[in-house]
Amino acid sequence: MQTNLLSRPTSAKYTSMSDKINHPQLCQWLESVASSRDKEAFTHLFQFFAPKILRIARGKFPNEAQANEVVQDTMSNVWRKAHLFNQDKGAATTWVYTVMRNVTFDMLRKIQGNKEDNLSDDIWPMAEKMSSEAEVFDDHLEHANLLSVIEELPQNQQDVVKGFYFREMSQEQLAVHLNLPLGTVKSRLRLALGKLKVQLGEQHD
Amino acid sequence: MINHHPKFELIQAFVNGDLPASLSAGVAIHADMCPVCQQTIAQFTEQVAETSFEEEYLDRFIVDDNEALAAVAAINFDHMIEDIVGSSDISIALPKVEKTISFNDKTYTIPAALSSMELGKHAHIGKLTRARIQLNENEIHTSLLHIQPGGGVPEHTHKGFELTVLLAGSFHDESGEYVKGDFIMLDSSHQHHPISTNGCLCYTVANDALHFTQGINKLLNPIGSFIY
Repeated sequence: MQTNLLSRPTSAKYTSMSDKINHPQLCQWLESVASSRDKEAFTHLFQFFAPKILRIARGKFPNEAQANEVVQDTMSNVWRKAHLFNQDKGAATTWVYTVMRNVTFDMLRKIQGNKEDNLSDDIWPMAEKMSSEAEVFDDHLEHANLLSVIEELPQNQQDVVKGFYFREMSQEQLAVHLNLPLGTVKSRLRLALGKLKVQLGEQHD
Repeated sequence: MINHHPKFELIQAFVNGDLPASLSAGVAIHADMCPVCQQTIAQFTEQVAETSFEEEYLDRFIVDDNEALAAVAAINFDHMIEDIVGSSDISIALPKVEKTISFNDKTYTIPAALSSMELGKHAHIGKLTRARIQLNENEIHTSLLHIQPGGGVPEHTHKGFELTVLLAGSFHDESGEYVKGDFIMLDSSHQHHPISTNGCLCYTVANDALHFTQGINKLLNPIGSFIY
């Protein structure tokens, strides 16, 4: 009994939460912002995305003020550019991710290269593109995509791969978070990458 | 037909925004001409996005919930929302203006990814013309390199890496023929001697001077840093 009480003290509220993202709802909010400058819809979007963006930005910017700036700039762009979102071309999460990635890229360049040239929108143009070629490759095998390949990996390798590539944690950070020796993290990553390369084919040798 | 593509790791880093501007632009230019890589990028972006914003996944990395909540509370979200929705600014997508560049009376369209980048003056040496792209990336040098028909770069190796994206025309080296759109990444283990029979324009990124390896060309080593 006692051990039960001690395990997972504060996570109860999360375990009941579904890990599936409600994509149609996010799209609808974005559309409302685009079409009618709907502040309530924006507030919902903000509540969904801002805490997550903040956590991600914390990983890239040790400086708290800079991480906050990423949230502010990304969400401002969501407000100002919502009309550029086209749900036929991709999910709302994908669009917000690209907005966040672009803001982060320009900010890092400003800090590291002392250049305020804002190149990201040229490198990743977001008005067009986004899976615009999807019809050409409308092949379900093509769509048996990376995530599903990753999900076939053993759980311990999945954790390492997702942390390293999607969350962009360093191998050292992962070792701490997953409570594993650094060597184990490295070898799991190596094993997983070997498998992914085989699965994903050789067109990018 | 494009034969040379960025490695999967490079595409991942590109999508994550982890590459320097020079290499990011290289991948973007290639993808613009390569539907296969465009598709890979689109899919990977979608998956990274999904994973990034997945509640359960993020939670798995939170060691201490209290710490996380404190971190989130450190900014005043309500205030930020008010501030943002108080603005009536709307970004208008500006129509893309095509920029061009001329080398020896031939005019080329500058790839969209480079359209805001600052180009240096043309410098000539033999049949080569180089325009440096000012990106302020320390030891990484980025250029547009034009080779007139029959021109080439003497046999050399690279101390670091050398990326060439072929924008127009073609060239060949010991490993074969390269065509428009090819993404050619070489490192210090490669030694090559590219020649362009019909002329070409390349986007090049190198993180160190190239090193000439043969005979009299060794005398050229001081100009290695000129070309790339």
